[in-house]
Amino acid sequence: MELFNMFIKSIFIDNMIFAFFLGMCSFLAVSKTVKTSLGLGVAVIFVLLITAPFNWVIYHYLLKAGALVWIDASFADVDLSYLSFLVFIASIAAIVQLVEMVVERFSPPLYNALGIFLPLIAVNCVILAVALFVQEKEDQSLMGLSALEVTIYAVGSGLGWFLAIVSMAAIREKIKYSNVPAPLRGLGITFILTGLMAIAFMGLMGIKL
Amino acid sequence: MKFLRNTLDKIKPHVQKGGKFQKFRSTFDAFETFLYVPDHVTKSGSHIRDGIDLKRAMSVVVIALMPALLFGMWNVGYQHFLAIGQTAGFCELFWYGFLQVLPIIIVSYVVGLGVEFIFAQIRGHEVNEGFLVSGMLIPMIMPVDTPLWMVAVATIFAVIIGKEVFGGTGMNIFNPALLARAFIFFAYPSKISGDFVWVSGLSDSTTKVVDGFSGATPMGLAGQGQFDKIPDFWTMFIGNIPGSIGETSKIAILIGAAILIISGIGSFRIMLSTILGGSAMIYIFNLFAANPYMEISPLVQLSMGGFLFGAVFMATDPVSASQTSTGKIIYGFLIGMIAMLIRVLNPAYPEGMMLAILMMNMFAPLIDYYVVEANIKRRLKRAKLSSIKS
Repeated sequence: MELFNMFIKSIFIDNMIFAFFLGMCSFLAVSKTVKTSLGLGVAVIFVLLITAPFNWVIYHYLLKAGALVWIDASFADVDLSYLSFLVFIASIAAIVQLVEMVVERFSPPLYNALGIFLPLIAVNCVILAVALFVQEKEDQSLMGLSALEVTIYAVGSGLGWFLAIVSMAAIREKIKYSNVPAPLRGLGITFILTGLMAIAFMGLMGIKL
Repeated sequence: MKFLRNTLDKIKPHVQKGGKFQKFRSTFDAFETFLYVPDHVTKSGSHIRDGIDLKRAMSVVVIALMPALLFGMWNVGYQHFLAIGQTAGFCELFWYGFLQVLPIIIVSYVVGLGVEFIFAQIRGHEVNEGFLVSGMLIPMIMPVDTPLWMVAVATIFAVIIGKEVFGGTGMNIFNPALLARAFIFFAYPSKISGDFVWVSGLSDSTTKVVDGFSGATPMGLAGQGQFDKIPDFWTMFIGNIPGSIGETSKIAILIGAAILIISGIGSFRIMLSTILGGSAMIYIFNLFAANPYMEISPLVQLSMGGFLFGAVFMATDPVSASQTSTGKIIYGFLIGMIAMLIRVLNPAYPEGMMLAILMMNMFAPLIDYYVVEANIKRRLKRAKLSSIKS
């Protein structure tokens, strides 16, 4: 039940777009048609599924204060967490490259479906944000998170982002036929829409499951 | 063949209506059309069964809103005199409510239409009737004590950001009236929630209120956990309870719903599926029954707050709702479920209908997209199958 709560919470209540406004660049740029945004959304979920647990392993066993105890007891007061930004970014970039190669080799259909989006995702802030949120959660909880919790949180966040970009794309396909004032066409109306959508999503904020 | 035509033309006046041989008209007609191509022409577009336009659609909705509005006016007076502990006749009650509600309606119409006129001037399109319904809905979903300037600001926000930036009437993604309410709800939360805004005069500290009168709506009582104080079903159904101006009387709303359904303006699919979705969620809550709020029976839960008003008048907005028939059912069902979910599980908001509808407005294009995609896929499959068979 705890895990299910975490999943629902990460999709709807702590939605990456409408609660934190993260990953806006690709959210605004790629949400022109439902088909492409679907591809990007799936790619984001896929990459999160791999990078978030990986970064968590690095943080949990190497960077966290006192994490190196498993090598030697004398490392108990070593705190490498100031390295987390650097390490996370590097590991995300490396993993995305690796994933791309692996997918291209073993699953050409999936590679074709994700296409250009895989390398693009290396610079999507949602990926880094999830790694950092996991770090924050890990610091706050006494026992630390489990791998399962991290995975579920990552998939939930990815699904929330996916839902946001796909619904935005559907709306943008609809307003293609609207007589939007010329200065607002394109990005302007998209920003207004994002704000209005965030108002609509505020209904779920504060839900206690 | 001139001769034949001339003979027919000579006989024609006698057999037409009022002529001497009126009863032979059909026989004559049969011969005439047999010999010559009939000269009947269609007087309207042959594909148009009913020339309904925006103006008629809007007027019907406004008429459908009237019962709820008139009852709301009476109820405003009733609640006010109940609060100050005086008795008054029917006319006096109604007149008091009328004087309280009319300024809000005037402000909403003047401001909203003013913005529409300005935009129409600048953008060079016609002023259309799009604001008629929104302008009536906005006062009806406000508490009676909302300051007029706030109604004006909210209306301006809703008309500009909610409608005109998308290109005006028929292009909006979100329901403008609900956006106006959401604007006040998030910008001035103290003016639209709590116990003192729902009854006229209660927020004014000089008014003497009789002991024991709280002014809390059923939703407010439920939110505070005072479940024993919630009025019984029939009181809420008839509607002499505190609440937003138009939402209290369920009978008046159902009359409006009947008008909308009979005239074919409001979608019965959305209304029905919204209520079904809400009931389904309540049944699920009843099964869990983790707290007293989840144990409230469906009938009582459905007649509380603005659920019915939202289902009948707000969710059915033909512009912001789903456009496909299947989509409408999914859309309504999810509205009902989300509204109940927010109402019961979210302590931050006593009522969830407004945000549930706004949220589904946002997903409506996506639902439509996939309904259409599924349709295309099914037909392609059928086409392939038939081509294989032949």
